[in-house]
Amino acid sequence: MKFPTKIPNRKTKTKTSKGGITPSNINDSIEILKLDSVSEGKGNFVTPQVQAFNMQKAAADGLMNLLRDMGKGYLALCSYNCKEAINILSQLPSHHYNTGWVLCQIGRAHFELAEYMQAERLFSEVRRIESYRVEGMEIYSTSLWHLQKEVALSALSKDLTDMDKNSPEAWCVAGNCFSLQREHDIAIKFFQRAIQVDPGFAYAYTLLGHEFVLTEELEKALACFRNAIRVNPRHYNAWYGLGMIYYKQEKFTLAEIYFKKALGINPQSSVLLCHVGVVQHALKKSEHALETLNKAINIDPKNPLCKFHRASILFANEKYKAALQELEELKQIVPKESLVYFLIGKVYKKLGQTHLALMNFSWAMDLDPKGANNQIKEAIDKRYLPDDEEPVPQEDSYPFDSGKCTFDAEESQESSMTDADDTQLHAAESDEVY
Amino acid sequence: MASANKTPPGADPKQLERTGTVREIGSQAVWSLSSCKPGFGVDQLRDDNLETYWQSDGSQPHLVNIQFRRKTTVKMLCIYADYKSDESYTPSKISVRVGNNFHNLQEVRQLELVEPSGWIHIPLLDLLNNPIRTFMIQIAVLANHQNGRDTHMRQIKVYTPVEESSIGKYPRCTTVDFMMYRTIR
Repeated sequence: MKFPTKIPNRKTKTKTSKGGITPSNINDSIEILKLDSVSEGKGNFVTPQVQAFNMQKAAADGLMNLLRDMGKGYLALCSYNCKEAINILSQLPSHHYNTGWVLCQIGRAHFELAEYMQAERLFSEVRRIESYRVEGMEIYSTSLWHLQKEVALSALSKDLTDMDKNSPEAWCVAGNCFSLQREHDIAIKFFQRAIQVDPGFAYAYTLLGHEFVLTEELEKALACFRNAIRVNPRHYNAWYGLGMIYYKQEKFTLAEIYFKKALGINPQSSVLLCHVGVVQHALKKSEHALETLNKAINIDPKNPLCKFHRASILFANEKYKAALQELEELKQIVPKESLVYFLIGKVYKKLGQTHLALMNFSWAMDLDPKGANNQIKEAIDKRYLPDDEEPVPQEDSYPFDSGKCTFDAEESQESSMTDADDTQLHAAESDEVY
Repeated sequence: MASANKTPPGADPKQLERTGTVREIGSQAVWSLSSCKPGFGVDQLRDDNLETYWQSDGSQPHLVNIQFRRKTTVKMLCIYADYKSDESYTPSKISVRVGNNFHNLQEVRQLELVEPSGWIHIPLLDLLNNPIRTFMIQIAVLANHQNGRDTHMRQIKVYTPVEESSIGKYPRCTTVDFMMYRTIR
């Protein structure tokens, strides 16, 4: 099925219009006006025409200033100088600030800074002012994807696909919606549709690549990311995607190269720096890793993952006190994250403070509603203590050391529970023997 | 007496998928059947429609073979069987075998169904309670209710555990705050 050729991007239109009124054009038009006023010759007619000319000059100047400021903001955004871009664009007069294009740019700046909540707020404002605007909505949909706001995302997807079936942005939004619902096959179909509608839309390739990664089809994902780079070499998400795939395949040097390339394009992304740090740690360059993570934390102190990874690197390098300090700070920032307690538990286990370790492990298990974290269960099982969950008869039989039992008795908070569980597990084991 | 031991229906696997802990990977495999009636074959078994079914057309045991391109981690099988609609076609004894190819299969689970009325979850775990890794799964229907010869199976789904795609070998994050920063999209 052939789709009509794409209407030129409004963004590019504004770009060309910025270049359209160059100083030389203005001078020409001014000269023409001057000639007109001279050719009139009579003094009475000069004044209103000079006034008109002055007004036109002022208007042109104002327009030039406006366009110059917008251009500066846009330039900052494209160089991923996002805080700068937000500053410049916020200083625009309010009747220009409250327009779709400007708000979209600022929203995108927040998005690149990983400030998804502000981005979401700005984009919903855009939807309110200009509900017909389709450009920039793919960034909005990805912000909603990050914030996991399923209802808003599906409403947006329905609106956009109803409004404009020929725009790649609408299909990207639909794909994001289904990806959030974990229906990856359908998401892939929609992203492919976005590519069909506009083969020059790099973001659609990137999103398709991410979906293939989630369905474990890594070769197809590689191809998609490479396509995205072919279309737009400055699309740092695609470079990041390539690095991600090589990281999953444990080709850490390649991963580092691609992450650094992405970082070269967008140097202030703390998420990227975090990934580079983790890869460097995987390559055993722990000092570099810690430096990178420190840089990341300086840029964005609100990023909890950087602190988490810094703590885990310190833990791997046996700097337990520093790791614990980091994790305590992290506990204040994200008190409900089970991973934090899991890592604290592991640190305490290494330090030999097993009661604290167990406490943290059980907190981690409580905080994980899906209970699918076998790692936490294994960490507890290795202590030769049963879980406080249902007494599922194990096919293997962990030997019940009498030595461990005496140790258990010391832990006052757990002892009564373990005694009951001891008997349950013994009973279960005896049942297993037919 | 039989009503007391009826196999209870399990949860809808779609809800399981939404938790993000498992992923359906039947589409990555090649499915084949030991026999089928025309119009009641693999497509009807995999079409996400509980009204359509596979009807076998040969001698017991009836086999469903699922072959993957590469060794895959499989956590769970879900089979939909309904005694009320299928009566003597409902399987009553199912054996699950895994291996590398047809000559290499070993039984890992055998289960008895008594008047099932919904989804049956079959976890496939090895001795250490980890999901099994295999090239091939064979589901064999050894017997049907009321000693029926042929069997109906309405839907089969195969689930693999979702690998945590974040950086680092840690279990999944639980809060949105963490997950937001996990990846660039």
